[in-house]
Amino acid sequence: MKSGVRTAVAGFLFLAFCFLIDGFRVYAAAPLVSKASAIQVLMIESDEIKLPAEFQISLYEDLVHQLEKNGGFQHVYRDGDKHAAEAGDIVVLHSSVRGFKKGSEMARQVTTVTGKTSIEVHCQFTDKNGKVLLEHNLKGQVMFFGANLRATFDFAKKAAKLAHDNFVAAPTS
Amino acid sequence: MKRRRWTILIAVILIQLGPWGRISCAQQTADSVQVKQLTGLVGVKNKTNGTVKVENGNLQFVHAKVKTELAVSTIEDVVTGNDSQRALHGFVGTLTMFAPYGGGRFLSLFRTKLDTLTLQYRDADGALHGAIFTMGVGKADPLKRILVEQGAHTSIPTPEASAAADSKPNAAKEHRL
Repeated sequence: MKSGVRTAVAGFLFLAFCFLIDGFRVYAAAPLVSKASAIQVLMIESDEIKLPAEFQISLYEDLVHQLEKNGGFQHVYRDGDKHAAEAGDIVVLHSSVRGFKKGSEMARQVTTVTGKTSIEVHCQFTDKNGKVLLEHNLKGQVMFFGANLRATFDFAKKAAKLAHDNFVAAPTS
Repeated sequence: MKRRRWTILIAVILIQLGPWGRISCAQQTADSVQVKQLTGLVGVKNKTNGTVKVENGNLQFVHAKVKTELAVSTIEDVVTGNDSQRALHGFVGTLTMFAPYGGGRFLSLFRTKLDTLTLQYRDADGALHGAIFTMGVGKADPLKRILVEQGAHTSIPTPEASAAADSKPNAAKEHRL
């Protein structure tokens, strides 16, 4: 009986260790792709998924605001900005929606556990010439509190952090 | 007696002026709409209440005597939608969430419908912006119609425009016949 408990504890510790190692590996595997002083955000594309207009605009605006606030770039250019062509070291962010589930604010407020809204966006960072520097799928969701549009804010925060960690932050040893 | 005659005269004048007053009031409500700007207008904080008016080819958002203008010709897309919010919202609404015995959850069942108006426009540098407004139900479509009439573009035509487009081929057919 005792040996069974011991085996279970050892197994649990082994699994925990594996998760820990895996976490470190993911952290270490995020390289600094290249430094950039400016970023241009293109309008969110939603060809595959039918996304309501307010979500599309909210994704774009939140992304621009979060990059301005937390991205660490000297300049954040919007889609079509003519000044973006003058910037030398610029990365361009292309985003396309891969998944969308519109939940219910009322269901969240009444039941707490149902009515989740989630958006999955494929982010592609390219250089000026279109060469892909980094690709990542990010998810924005609102699970408990807030309006449905808050999911776009969650996505924007994650995207700004991704851009900051890969194109602005000093390389980690 | 004289006083009574004056009272009747004033009453008659007021009755005559009544419809004029109503017309001017109706025009005001048709033009300026109470809205909440969720995001997107340059120089305006998110979630700001104000009024929107379309005048002389400009969309005017007025909040606390501060006027923000947007040329209708720069609007590339106008789309309407709908949403809902708690009947009791804002600070009081947040307080009710802490009501005992699930009272806050119960109050969440009472909701008011909203219309949303989403705009895409470009600034002087050609940079793309998006703005989202929420307003009372039934107010977004008339506002969109006014914007489209004054030169804004839309990816989803208004029912009147699509009806006119549908009727054109029929008219052509009639001419051929």
